[in-house]
Amino acid sequence: MTKVYVGMSGGVDSSLTAALLVEQGYDVTGVYMKNWTQDLPGMKCPWADDLADAKRVAVQLGIDFKVFDFENEYKHKVVDYMIEEYKLGRTPNPDIMCNQEVKFKIFLETALEDGADLIATGHYARVRHEEGRSNGQLVQAVDTNKDQTYFLYRVTGEALGKVLFPLGEFKKPEVREMAKARGLFTAAKKDSQGICFVGQIGIREFLSQYVEQKAGSIIDKQTGKVLGQHDGAIFYTIGQRHGLDVGGGLPYYVVGKDMDKNEVYATTNLNDDALWRPQLNLTSAHWINETPEAGEYQVRVRHRAALIPTQLSFNDDGSIELTLDNAERAVAPGQSVVIYNNEICIGGGIIA
Amino acid sequence: MIYLDHAAATPLDPKVLAAMMPYFSDDFFNPSAPYAPAIMVRRSYDAAKDTIGRAIGARGDDIIITAGATESINLAFSSIGGHVVTANIEHHAVLAAVKNFEHTIVEADSRAVVSAESIRQAIRPDTRLVSIALANNEVGTIQPLRDIAEVIKKERNARLARGDHTPIYLHSDASQGVGQLDVNVARLGVDLLTLNAAKVYGPKQVGLLWSAPFVELKPYIVGGGQERGIRSGTENVAGTIGFAKAMELASEHRGFESKRLMKLRDTMQKTLTDAFAKAVLSGHQRHRLAGHLHISFPGIDAERVLFGLENRGVLVATGSACAANKGTRSHVLNAIGLASEVADGSLRITLGHLSTDENCQQAAAIIIEEVTKEYARVGR
Repeated sequence: MTKVYVGMSGGVDSSLTAALLVEQGYDVTGVYMKNWTQDLPGMKCPWADDLADAKRVAVQLGIDFKVFDFENEYKHKVVDYMIEEYKLGRTPNPDIMCNQEVKFKIFLETALEDGADLIATGHYARVRHEEGRSNGQLVQAVDTNKDQTYFLYRVTGEALGKVLFPLGEFKKPEVREMAKARGLFTAAKKDSQGICFVGQIGIREFLSQYVEQKAGSIIDKQTGKVLGQHDGAIFYTIGQRHGLDVGGGLPYYVVGKDMDKNEVYATTNLNDDALWRPQLNLTSAHWINETPEAGEYQVRVRHRAALIPTQLSFNDDGSIELTLDNAERAVAPGQSVVIYNNEICIGGGIIA
Repeated sequence: MIYLDHAAATPLDPKVLAAMMPYFSDDFFNPSAPYAPAIMVRRSYDAAKDTIGRAIGARGDDIIITAGATESINLAFSSIGGHVVTANIEHHAVLAAVKNFEHTIVEADSRAVVSAESIRQAIRPDTRLVSIALANNEVGTIQPLRDIAEVIKKERNARLARGDHTPIYLHSDASQGVGQLDVNVARLGVDLLTLNAAKVYGPKQVGLLWSAPFVELKPYIVGGGQERGIRSGTENVAGTIGFAKAMELASEHRGFESKRLMKLRDTMQKTLTDAFAKAVLSGHQRHRLAGHLHISFPGIDAERVLFGLENRGVLVATGSACAANKGTRSHVLNAIGLASEVADGSLRITLGHLSTDENCQQAAAIIIEEVTKEYARVGR
């Protein structure tokens, strides 16, 4: 019997994932991954409740249940990375890092060592296995509205060869219905939102614990005039409108920042070149399987964004040049651009 | 549903609810208001405190109504201060409150009993407060409070004999025992007593701190001067009326109810130990609350059993609720030296009003099935 370790977070998606795999005849073990969290005064960290819910469902399904403690790995690979990127003035995505480094690397390795043949998670994505190849291909979920391939583009094809995504075939409302029909305790549980370890405090407050708040100027890009003050360029991202506190008139948008000078540049010009970029240069390219040929593809610059037809070419230094059919708004350095060949997610890179 | 966690919460007695109801609507007046209907409410409130007082052999005037046992404990500690002596099997409320003071924590024995002798040895010349619960909330053991009170009386007399007027008081949280044990303050020999209405079929967020007339309490919540200025804030009239009714009912039914629960508990204990020869019973088997059964099944994960039972409508605890939520092993089970393999397989079964012959039998059968299932799963 094929042994599958399912990452169970205590939410409805991973609960149903485990239930479906049991029904499909796999030998299923539930695993709760304990990631890094911080205890802040006056804030209740929900992980203990989530762990209990995951275990409760495992008992309901009559499967084994384990806790893998990845607190250290998560802190190093995901949290520290995120803070460092912000310090460099970039806008990183910790969920992508978590999938690359924790769920589809350390979890996979630990599970295989522990005797698993495969792992599974409750992601909305599909894996296509080709005959004669151990690698898997990442395919968009049937529910295009929930599709999570954007967060999965840095996973390797080799890892995907050992992965099951049972939910990729269903739409979210169906998942809730199926969970309810099976009487799963988590069927009606609210979906989690945002970056798990940042929680409800918001990224700004989270970061301010790690970086010094330093006053700087908000400068009008067109006139060079000082519009007001901010408490640290690190807290601003390209395209951001709110939180500028420059008051009155047309809304201002962040179009650039200088981390050395601690300056934030803003404009009221919605057509500013910095806001609309038809040309994107990507570094840190990652391909799930083979490096693609230059040519016609589709890209997505953020989770759930529309796919934009794009011309892909390679520069001499190996970096990727993307020419988008229509310019995309508010793309910030550090952000991931994910590349698709129709329904297959082939990889992507990070905006330089 | 079969409820087997009366030590965590008790359902409000319908008679208690009936007594409380008028004070939410018709008799809503502020007891401090000057007009006749409000004065009637004030009288009912005072009478309720007298009723509670009678149930513990005390005067209503010496009782401060609080929002539960945790607050009462905090109030007692902040009033008395000084060096404090308590035990390692006490409730989290006590173990947390004690951290604000110089303290000595004595060790209970392996049967979860705190000996008077260990208290005697821990008392220092500057000890002002000794705090020991009447009954342990997790394994249900009843502590030798009268013996401990004797030790304190001797220490007090010795101090007076040498002209030392440093006071020393005995405080006890009797929340856990009040439905089944005599909580007469004079017979227990305590100087301060904490009770919680929610453990005796009364409302939650209602408790009391009784203190002997010679104990000086310090204002804890300041404001309009209610509760002798110790704990200001408009009185919880309905809650206190309910508390009084609950105490009245407890006094009335205690003898009968204790015998009934003990019989049910002993039967269940026998059924479970007959089914599992390796089951471990914790706590002093004789000095133990009548409805309390702490049983461990070594080698299994009690939390899985709890979820399995929950799924079948049987509600039990795996330890003290707080310890379970924090995902850590119970400090009480650690304190009495239970091996982790045993501690992790522990269920706390506490019977009460909702327990009947029939549902206890049913529950025992379901527990046997679920535990058997877990033993099969881990291959033992």
